[in-house]
Amino acid sequence: MNSNVFLLGGFQTDFARNWAREKKHISAMIRETYEGSLECTKIRPADISAAFVGNFAAELYCMQGHLGAFFVELDPAFKGLPTCRYEAACASGGVAALSAMAHIQAGLYDCVAVVGVEQMKTVDSARGGDFLGTAAWYERESKGVEFPFPKLFGKLGDEYDKRYGLKAEHLARIAEINYANARRNPNAQTRDWYMSYDHACGTGQYNPAISGRIKVTDCSQVTDGAAIIYMASEKYAADYAHRCGISLDALPRVLGWGNTTAPIEFAVKVEDSKNDPYVLPWTRKAITDAMQRAGLDSCWQLSAIETHDCFTTSEYMAIDHFGLTEPGKSWQAVEQGIIALGGRLPINPSGGLIGCGHPVGATGVRQLLDAYKQTTGSAWDYQVPNARRVATLNLGGSATTNVVFIIGFNS
Amino acid sequence: MHRQIQTVAVLGASGTVGSLSGGILAQNGLNVYYLSRTKEGSQKGLSRAVKQARSEAIASRITCGDYNTLFEKACSEADWILECVAEDMAVKKAMYEKVDAIRRKDAIVSSVTSSLPLEELPQGRSDSFRANFLSTHFYNPPGKMLACEVTGQSQTDPALVDFMIEYLGQKLRRVVIPVKPAAAFAGNRLAFLLFARITELVRQFGVEMMDYLIGPYTGRLLPPLATIDLVGLDIHKAILLSLQTYTQDAMHNKLVIPAYIDTMIAAGRLGNKTRANGGFFKKLDSGQFLYYDPASEDYIPGYGPRIQFVEKAKNQIRIGLYRQAFDGILQASGTEARIVHEILATYIAYAYSLIGQVTDEKYGIEGIDKVMSSGFHWACPSLLVNMIGGAEKAVELVQSADLAVPQTLRTDTAWKKYYFNAGKYFIAG
Repeated sequence: MNSNVFLLGGFQTDFARNWAREKKHISAMIRETYEGSLECTKIRPADISAAFVGNFAAELYCMQGHLGAFFVELDPAFKGLPTCRYEAACASGGVAALSAMAHIQAGLYDCVAVVGVEQMKTVDSARGGDFLGTAAWYERESKGVEFPFPKLFGKLGDEYDKRYGLKAEHLARIAEINYANARRNPNAQTRDWYMSYDHACGTGQYNPAISGRIKVTDCSQVTDGAAIIYMASEKYAADYAHRCGISLDALPRVLGWGNTTAPIEFAVKVEDSKNDPYVLPWTRKAITDAMQRAGLDSCWQLSAIETHDCFTTSEYMAIDHFGLTEPGKSWQAVEQGIIALGGRLPINPSGGLIGCGHPVGATGVRQLLDAYKQTTGSAWDYQVPNARRVATLNLGGSATTNVVFIIGFNS
Repeated sequence: MHRQIQTVAVLGASGTVGSLSGGILAQNGLNVYYLSRTKEGSQKGLSRAVKQARSEAIASRITCGDYNTLFEKACSEADWILECVAEDMAVKKAMYEKVDAIRRKDAIVSSVTSSLPLEELPQGRSDSFRANFLSTHFYNPPGKMLACEVTGQSQTDPALVDFMIEYLGQKLRRVVIPVKPAAAFAGNRLAFLLFARITELVRQFGVEMMDYLIGPYTGRLLPPLATIDLVGLDIHKAILLSLQTYTQDAMHNKLVIPAYIDTMIAAGRLGNKTRANGGFFKKLDSGQFLYYDPASEDYIPGYGPRIQFVEKAKNQIRIGLYRQAFDGILQASGTEARIVHEILATYIAYAYSLIGQVTDEKYGIEGIDKVMSSGFHWACPSLLVNMIGGAEKAVELVQSADLAVPQTLRTDTAWKKYYFNAGKYFIAG
């Protein structure tokens, strides 16, 4: 890393909320998140020198663009503040954070807010599914297709099945674990929902197949939510730590990052990888780049992973791509309980996208906030004991944009 | 106390409360017997439980039957017998007599009642029955409303109450509120007093205007008269009668049941359960709503009231400016504003006056806060104190409504905390 970038904490909304039912404008979500973050972090508004806002499609869901400008609405002191909205589909939060980090490393800013926000419950599921289709190559992969993304990630499962074999029971177990973890997370969308392995294995009125092998329990759900994380230079972080009466060493930092963009069409991705042991090599490269930058030799040097389980198949993919198993053998980590809370390398202690929720543009930021919570011992009942390093994987589209961070401490 | 609960018998499982509460038990891994007068009734309850869980998988944990064929097996096996039969003292007592003859001596027996006197319910039963008898008052629907008030009567083993408080919280994921065995406990006592006052004001201002003035923007999921329609006017009246009979406090004179409520009940206008007849509201096939008019005893079309301070508050809530919205409400003047001020003041004053009466003093406002937010999805009393600017401002509001100021409102400091996600209680519509 060129220079240290520290995480100072932040806030996420309760992902179980339905902001359309509350009849709220998306700016209310940004405001509540910001005000909650001030309470959690004690950041002084005057210290914030820029805001990076991740959002996928507010123009479609809320008829509202230009979201960076809504950060300025939060406080009269923000008039004139540099802000920008970032978009990379479901990785919008991730790329906003990458840009924030780069600006700090370039010496332009000392303390910045990274906001991820999405309000999705404004439309019915068919219309929402069509909007999400714009994260793929719309004309080729989504137009006229009902729920295009379950189909695309169903194809990911099909590809695993073709190359290595894939059992439905392992996907069901992944869903069960994410829901179980979410029950421990007071901000998780599904914390009070019923889930069991039997339910996830079954198919029926309440767990219909959406597309091929993908059933409702394999999917993250439509979610409204926002999250903020503050990133800072070493200079600012040192002052902040002093003001909070803690050591600078107690603040986690960005140890490594990776960012790749694969061909947008899923069929092209798969075709390109036919001679590669990894089904999604560009995702694998983002992970290995981050590990290398962090100076890590193996995934076992991580304490936890917050991965992009928009579907159970994407978490299944993440298991071998992070190196928990050999390619194609993710099922071993599932069966051996490695990925469960209490396992050797828990995945998604927060509940992930399936359990915690997936407000598209907010997810990458929420993952970073959870990495901060884990590495500072403030993750409530879903705390991984003594977590020192947490990796995040945020995907945009059908693993087109890949953003990986490794957050925590070197020693 | 070391106890294990694996099997539960739900009595009155054909009803909404029994079937949905029993469903929560099945969802959390317990084996549950559904008992009612007919097996078909119990099966109807099972369907409701499946719909609540959104999963057919829980059906494997539920065994349905009727009182004639399954009662003995279920009640003799059960570690916990959850009684959800009709809110009628005689019916419940008759059921307890049968249960007492069959149950294991260490089996827990709990009632979901909050309105009948708990002390009287187990009278005449065995020592072990009374020692193991308590109230577990689930809120409805329990899949969404997580509150559960818990209390024993004079002969309940205190260790059992402690055990159930922990069990309901940890195992069944309820928001547990330990209460005293006072009529209607905390939540219904507070809410129904407000409902009573609002139904009284209906005579002067009409149904549409009252639900507009005390609408969701004031910190509630549903407007008050729509909530009474959901509960049922017959239940509303029964709870108020119980409060009139079994409680005595400074606000007792507000527990009114206007004569038009009796007229509505007599005409079968009970609310959502008598949709064709209506309640406070009547929805036509065209989708249009009509509003009950006590003067003509008939339904009238709406006129869409719009009051400037209300509309301004909603607009501010829409963009997340909650405190500013309440500043505006408090600064507003005129008849309508005075009504809103009075209802807010009554809510706050009565809630704080109940500390020590229905919840233990050591919990402060916390217990009442919990039941209002998790049982009704209302902004809890201390949050409203926070929103209007603190205890001092709340005292002024209460005084301006000519209400007595409870000492606890001056001394309790819970309102000073930060309320994360508080905005979910304030709806901009």
